[in-house]
Amino acid sequence: MILSAATGFLGFGIRAPGVEPLTPVYPSYFGNRIDIPADNPLTVQGVQLGRMLFYETALSAGDRVSCATCHRQELAFTDGKRFSAGVDGTLQPRNTMSLANLLWVRNFFWDGRARGLEQQAETPLTNPHEMGQTLAVSARKLQSKTIYPPLFRAAFGSDTVTGLRIVQALAQFERTLISAGSRYDRYLQGAYQPTGSEAGGIALFYGKGTCGHCHDGPKTYGELFHNNGLDSIPRDPGRETVTGQPYDRGRFRVVTLRNIELTAPYMHDGRFSTLTDTSFITNPKFSNPFKN
Amino acid sequence: MRKYCFIILVCLVIVGGIQAQPAIKVSGEVTKPLQLQTADLAKMKRVTVSMRDRDGNEHPYTGVPVAEILDQAGVTTGKQLRGENLTKYLLVKCADGYEVLFSLAELDSSFTDRTVIIADSSEGKPLPAGKGPFRLVVPGEKKPARSSFQVTELVIRWAKE
Repeated sequence: MILSAATGFLGFGIRAPGVEPLTPVYPSYFGNRIDIPADNPLTVQGVQLGRMLFYETALSAGDRVSCATCHRQELAFTDGKRFSAGVDGTLQPRNTMSLANLLWVRNFFWDGRARGLEQQAETPLTNPHEMGQTLAVSARKLQSKTIYPPLFRAAFGSDTVTGLRIVQALAQFERTLISAGSRYDRYLQGAYQPTGSEAGGIALFYGKGTCGHCHDGPKTYGELFHNNGLDSIPRDPGRETVTGQPYDRGRFRVVTLRNIELTAPYMHDGRFSTLTDTSFITNPKFSNPFKN
Repeated sequence: MRKYCFIILVCLVIVGGIQAQPAIKVSGEVTKPLQLQTADLAKMKRVTVSMRDRDGNEHPYTGVPVAEILDQAGVTTGKQLRGENLTKYLLVKCADGYEVLFSLAELDSSFTDRTVIIADSSEGKPLPAGKGPFRLVVPGEKKPARSSFQVTELVIRWAKE
């Protein structure tokens, strides 16, 4: 019962009455190594609530920004800026990440420090230099709006708004942001014949270019953290901050390449403004971690 | 006051130093979880095996058999590796997120003569940056893809279908 009060569910994986389960739809070639915690299964009502919260400015100090301010759908949920500004005008230390195909991601942020989307969502909401508001204040503000308590009841079986339920609903919504409708997908399904230059790109990507070592498989990313040789002395320690290991210095998440034409600027620090800039990989200093 | 600041600083450096010590964590279906550093591996049974690297040449690697580590952690090895225990697997996790998997029988001397090791040196020298400090060495495979670099964790689990 304590669990029920805390999460709105009757137990791990058991939904409150009237809540409809939602099965994410994605191509079989994406594989099923998805990450949905047992205490926050996808539901129709949870995703609907999460979608509203994603665009809700009341979740920020002074009602100034929402998640969607920096994660704009038309830019594959990025914002086109090198560094996004928070409610206090402070620029973020790293480039805003795309939210496409997070259902398969287990460790979030450029340095992988957050285990799971629920934990990830708490950071931008509460960081004074991002949305700048505690979850307790956010819960209080939503509780006072007539529209939200019924939506929380529908999603979690109780109209009490809590910080945990806010991040759970946001995580549910983000897990449904699945990108699988590209020409490349149609090619994988045998319904599209690539042009000569596209076919050449595929051959280079998976062949000599060795891009596919890290951007592996149809999702074009893996749960990997690599130093791609951007800097001989990395200004940002990256994953070393999380593990304390010098060999993790300058390692960052291998991100998806889906929707990449929409997600400029590129790299953890947004240093490249165009896709052709990222041809840094032809630089002899580029370190392929798979080379023996 | 300055003295206290100095003591705190020294403590921080010591704690930081301990945290920075690379180690292999052994967890999951074990009776005794382990955290093994280089000094711990040095005290265990050590062997040298040879494996063909991506350069096409055989290289000697020295370290501790994975089976030995699993034994110490209380994993079901040897005579215990029968029945449902044959559905257990070892997931090897590396610093960069790379992961490879073995069934326990692949690593057990009652099933195979091949000795898979956690290597920490080659030809008397520590492994080079990028590969070490700990590398899984799987002799006799056509591709070295499972001989993964910078191993950080060994996780034993049940395969559940």
